[in-house]
Amino acid sequence: MTRIGVQHSKASADEAELVARLRAGDERAFEALVARHYGTMLAVAQTYVKTRAVAEEVVQEAWLGLLQSLDRFEGRSSLKTWILAILVNKAKTRGVREARSVPFASLAPEGDERAIAPERFRGPQDGFPGHWRAYPGNWGATPQVALEDRETLRVAMRAIAALPVAQQTVIRMRDVEGYGSDEVCAALEVSAANQRVLLHRARSRVRAALEAHLDG
Amino acid sequence: MAEHVTCQEVVELVTDYLEHALQADEAALFEQHINFCDGCEWYLDQMRTTVAAVGRIDEEDVPRETRDKLLAAFRDWKRG
Repeated sequence: MTRIGVQHSKASADEAELVARLRAGDERAFEALVARHYGTMLAVAQTYVKTRAVAEEVVQEAWLGLLQSLDRFEGRSSLKTWILAILVNKAKTRGVREARSVPFASLAPEGDERAIAPERFRGPQDGFPGHWRAYPGNWGATPQVALEDRETLRVAMRAIAALPVAQQTVIRMRDVEGYGSDEVCAALEVSAANQRVLLHRARSRVRAALEAHLDG
Repeated sequence: MAEHVTCQEVVELVTDYLEHALQADEAALFEQHINFCDGCEWYLDQMRTTVAAVGRIDEEDVPRETRDKLLAAFRDWKRG
């Protein structure tokens, strides 16, 4: 085994084991898998259909579809890629039935949104316009325990839940689930540039929430 | 291309930088700024920490009703 292959092989081995447990009917494995993917699946589904209630139905249909085809899963793609494909398929079918054929336009970033309030930078009348008035906190000096605290994670989760749906979907897919940008662009039918803008706005808002929590 | 970027510009370029989406000359200006500006170095670190924190979220609340329905479906499936 080459060194480069190690990480990937470990992930595939973990995944093969998980799939084996699912096929053997392990309920806890199934519950954990649902808990792991539910939030992201719901967010993706919401970009295709009109209401959260319908999105929840789509997610449930996707899980049923997954169970029905579990025996055919061969591990050629990763499990999460496979889950996403089933979900998008169900969501599109439902979106078409609901005559919501082009929800994607609404995923384009809207308006102008700053990562940081302009007041935190020196104005054109000051010396060094555009530079920080006061530096942001040095989190490198923050105890690791505060950064990894359960409450810090909850702050991040609440901040994500409060994001507009397009931003929320992108940050969940990219940073919570670890999908690649190409998978996100394909699933949501957004351009690479728009995907980056949405990711940037989402991360910036979550950072601001963590800043308010950590630096008070 | 400008000869330097301000802190206010840096905070908007962070994601493009982390995504390797900046042109070579933009990336060079960005790094040059970070090397000389503690505030922006810390800001970049905050964004990396944010990404890492979000990456540690491993489960979310599934509505009880949904969970029960899915578990029932799983049991049905198990019975074949």
